[in-house]
Amino acid sequence: MSLRPGSRVRARAGDPDHHTRVPRYVRGHVGEVVELEGEWPLPDDRARRIDPPRVEAVYAVRFPAAELWGEGTHTITVDLWESYLLEEPS
Amino acid sequence: MTGTHSELPVAARVRQLEERVIAAGLATDAELDDVLARLYDGASPVNGARMVARAWADESYFRRLLADGNAAAGELGLGDPYGLGYRLKAVANTPQQHNLVVCTLCSCYPVSLLGPSPSWYKSLAYRSRAVRKPRAVLAEFGLELPAGTEIAVWDASAETRYLVVPARPAGTGEMPEDDLAALVTQRGLIGTAVV
Amino acid sequence: MSRVHDIGGQTGFGPVPMAEDGQPFHADWEARVFALNRVLGGRGVFTTDEFRDAIERIPAEEYLAAGYYERWLRALETLLAERGLA
Repeated sequence: MSLRPGSRVRARAGDPDHHTRVPRYVRGHVGEVVELEGEWPLPDDRARRIDPPRVEAVYAVRFPAAELWGEGTHTITVDLWESYLLEEPS
Repeated sequence: MTGTHSELPVAARVRQLEERVIAAGLATDAELDDVLARLYDGASPVNGARMVARAWADESYFRRLLADGNAAAGELGLGDPYGLGYRLKAVANTPQQHNLVVCTLCSCYPVSLLGPSPSWYKSLAYRSRAVRKPRAVLAEFGLELPAGTEIAVWDASAETRYLVVPARPAGTGEMPEDDLAALVTQRGLIGTAVV
Repeated sequence: MSRVHDIGGQTGFGPVPMAEDGQPFHADWEARVFALNRVLGGRGVFTTDEFRDAIERIPAEEYLAAGYYERWLRALETLLAERGLA
């Protein structure tokens, strides 16, 4: 995946059967990449003691409130590892 | 979930756990005391306030703070000897945008720069509602923003910790940096107050 | 996994309890739990992710009824028991 600021992404809808850091309220929803936050070990792997854990890009992804709640004018920016995201056709 | 002693009063459970941990050689009394001493001595919103005051007083520091929070903390001697351990992101309030920080999944927060997190930051009420009804949450804190100000909520779900740079109050043009820092509150650094 | 901790956007938790502001700990045992977590994490007994996972595995009703540092205590007890360490 090659994501840049402005890329449209969809948070994966699936619910893994282990610890993860993608909040339920963004799953399945479309947002926009704000910036790359560097590369960090994947919590899903570290919580399961998978050694070494995958190390992935983490992105700040901005969602409009209306996309998540059907109302509201604010935005919510969530920090998401690459494997939580799918590229969305623009 | 075995091995708990939930029939005991909680303080007794902690004492027992601590004794077992020390007996197992996993911690010493001195190490445990040292953690708390460092928390009480070093972790304070005064640190974040110094960064904000410097940003207000020095435009080029402001730009560096927004571009790389860790380096900007380091410039003021505020990265601990091992670094902060996370990516620090400063987000600045403007007349167009007010920033509010939350961690919906747990309680992620830059303790050394903002001081030990307030109980309300860790509460189920704040964690659940800040992302959905931020204007109503801010109103509970006594903060009524102009209708035209957009609210940007930051959910600290990964390895970035956020610091809000409040807008500089009017009429502080001649104020020395130390006095500016004294205006900045912990709530201001989280975004539940303005300065 | 969507567990009880994942509460962003939920309603029903009432107003923000800001009156208790001011003190990092409200009893000495809370401070000791905080210190135990830092020391054990620093020694590599568990990672932050394993600690969070242990908090999230607390049964939902108990999670909601417990105070913040009671959850931490429960997670520490769970992890140490599972590792056979203490």
